[in-house]
Amino acid sequence: MNKSGYVEGGSLSGLRVLDLTRVWAGPLATRIFGDFGAQIIKISDPRTPVANTNGVNNKLNRNKLSLGLRLDKDSGKGIFRDLVAISDVVIENFRPRVMRNLSLAYDQLKAINHDIVMCSMPGFGMEGPYSEYPAYGTTAEAIAGVPSLIGYEPSVPMPTGIAYGDPISGLHAIGAVLASLRNRDIAGGGQFIDVALAAGPVITTGEFLVASSADSYEREVYGNKHTHQSPHGAYKAAGDDNWIAISVTNDPEWMSLRSVADDDRLSDPRFFEFEGRKQNEKLIDQVISEWVANREAVDLMNLLQNAGVPAGRVANSRQFLNDPHLAARDFFVWLDEQEFGPKQYEGQSIPGNYVDKSNWEPSHQMGQDSRYILEDILGYSDEQCHSLASEGAVAFNRELPTSDQRD
Amino acid sequence: MQDRHSQNEQTAENLPLRGIKVVEAAQGVAGPFCGRFLAALGAKVIKVERPPEGDWSRKIGPFLPGNVRSECSALYLYNNMGKESVLLDWETESGMSALETLVSSADILIEDWDRAYREEIGLTTDRFTSLNSELIEICATPFGLTGPYSRWKSTPIVQLALGGYLYLTGNSSEEPLMLPGHQPDYLTGLNAHNAVQIALWERARSGRGQFLEMSMMENLGVLHQFTFEMETYSGVVRNRNGLQWNKVGPFASYGITTLPCDDGYVAFGASTEDQWERLCAMLGREDLLDDPEFDTRLKRSQKSDTLDSLITDWMKGKTRQEVFLESSEKWFLPVAPVLNLNEVLRDPQFVQRNLFQPLSHPEAGEALYPTFPFAMSEIKPTVARAPLLGEHTSDVLGGLA
Repeated sequence: MNKSGYVEGGSLSGLRVLDLTRVWAGPLATRIFGDFGAQIIKISDPRTPVANTNGVNNKLNRNKLSLGLRLDKDSGKGIFRDLVAISDVVIENFRPRVMRNLSLAYDQLKAINHDIVMCSMPGFGMEGPYSEYPAYGTTAEAIAGVPSLIGYEPSVPMPTGIAYGDPISGLHAIGAVLASLRNRDIAGGGQFIDVALAAGPVITTGEFLVASSADSYEREVYGNKHTHQSPHGAYKAAGDDNWIAISVTNDPEWMSLRSVADDDRLSDPRFFEFEGRKQNEKLIDQVISEWVANREAVDLMNLLQNAGVPAGRVANSRQFLNDPHLAARDFFVWLDEQEFGPKQYEGQSIPGNYVDKSNWEPSHQMGQDSRYILEDILGYSDEQCHSLASEGAVAFNRELPTSDQRD
Repeated sequence: MQDRHSQNEQTAENLPLRGIKVVEAAQGVAGPFCGRFLAALGAKVIKVERPPEGDWSRKIGPFLPGNVRSECSALYLYNNMGKESVLLDWETESGMSALETLVSSADILIEDWDRAYREEIGLTTDRFTSLNSELIEICATPFGLTGPYSRWKSTPIVQLALGGYLYLTGNSSEEPLMLPGHQPDYLTGLNAHNAVQIALWERARSGRGQFLEMSMMENLGVLHQFTFEMETYSGVVRNRNGLQWNKVGPFASYGITTLPCDDGYVAFGASTEDQWERLCAMLGREDLLDDPEFDTRLKRSQKSDTLDSLITDWMKGKTRQEVFLESSEKWFLPVAPVLNLNEVLRDPQFVQRNLFQPLSHPEAGEALYPTFPFAMSEIKPTVARAPLLGEHTSDVLGGLA
């Protein structure tokens, strides 16, 4: 990345994105733009403590410029409006009233830049009875019904460990913004996009909802049991908390599993077909559990996959980070963080990037690029910058305004 | 705030992907979910299905009532909205030739031919891009086309296992639990759509088409919030912890927890200091704010069971909806009811957003279909039913002759 925050030759180089997002869903979305060469101006309130000691901020904010800016001050708003005039996209994930109260709602930004694409990512959407309610990915997945589809028994729901509303909402935002930019280039004019965090997981459980709406579906949740694959589940392998996931999708795969597990109890010809396996699933699970109990999950995975049976070790974070397949595909990236030294992160799963990962930039510190943005992008004078700094509207480094500048 | 309901109805002619032709040979969920976006945004999507049975998702439920079962799979009907279906066997010479003709005038080819299948039928990765230099071909497979797992088989539970999701859901020390249905495939379809949009942007500027090779395993890998950073910054392996979250490492805190009330379960998401203060106020237990037993996030996380029972007691006699409204409106805490599917379909917020649209299908009848989690001021994505198997064969292939 050069000083400007653009990476030359990237598919999205030349796009400028104003990033007001926080937490996960929003920064995940803008990270995609940055990875592909867009100039991301991440705007943070200087009073917000930067919790980069946990690494998540660093991971999500690679390839982004950092501007410390107070939008509640008139001069801060003025800077933001000047940036809107020369930007392609604004993304934010405050509650709906925040941008309205700042007089920075879409209609007001559109008056500055007719072509601006603004994407808001509130918990429940910009309108409607719950629109001002707070939400996290964890509560979003709940109201979307996901935990009711997970569990050891039907009566007790189980949340995902993922905060599942967030990644879905972030990925939807990208597609909607890019479609809007295409629309702008073809037809002219900007767009307002309202992505509701809570609606995301609804979209990825569509088939269950379609069937429920026609009263033709009653979900019965029993652990990892499957309606048309058997055996199907995670089985405890050797070691502390190591598991092997196995799913047999057809009869030939069963015959392969039977031959590698090599236990007489699996030779029952009734098991050669799905119905027979499903009816005797407890017994089959028992035999598999005994077979895998003292074997390494990785060995089992290789053995089963080489025999043509779908199987995977249940990877924890450490195992995922050391996965040989991902290493062979050069999936990971190491970024040299200012305070922490080189750290390993996931790369980008979206293919076709003309930006080489070696040109990626680690996360910047709060306000690290404020001077560049004001002077070089907006053409402010040195004097103006000093004045903005002294009134606390802009942070030019990591120093916070003094306490008497706080509201 | 603009009124998105007052805009004129749009047709494909003024949607952003008007004039874009997509050939979809992918089956199941990942590729078709990508194609569903493209169709909704105005592209003409020709779904190529192999005879006699077509896309394998036609055999997978849940099913809507109807006499022709292969036309009633909700999985197929949902993921193939707005497409045309053409029966074509690309494993025969004439079929491949017809596919090549279709693709040579297409903008986008969506397929899911993995390495083993490519080797089996002798299909190189430049087969189609060499016919059409502006073609954007996206190939979405479980592990990608290179690397030691690239000939392996996969299913959603296997994908979740290797992608690090499975380990994180369920009770600690018990069997980890899978996410419902086809989540890795949906997430991959979402990002495949993003990949196609980026490639269209690239093509509009440079004229270049691309072969885009996408791995589902990597796609799960980019969608972890802090799982890996707990390890790389603190050396702590993130665990699953049932109804409570985050009991270990730098992210340990109390308040992301799912608890029962009178008519079901409620998900609480109070994790920051100010949320902790409001939670105590809501429970009428401001005394805890001065209690040294609870004065750090870590201490509170270690007292999760105690705090859970305080909330459970407070919820006695309340319904999920009452807890949701009081916590959200009065105390501004991220809290939500755990809804079941029928409740999701009737939820007033989702209804207000027109999240579900009724569609009629000639074999499967009436049902509600989820649209998209986004609403756009100038673009109204189309909502149209999925095709019958081969419904457009003669229209499309007849036009080639």
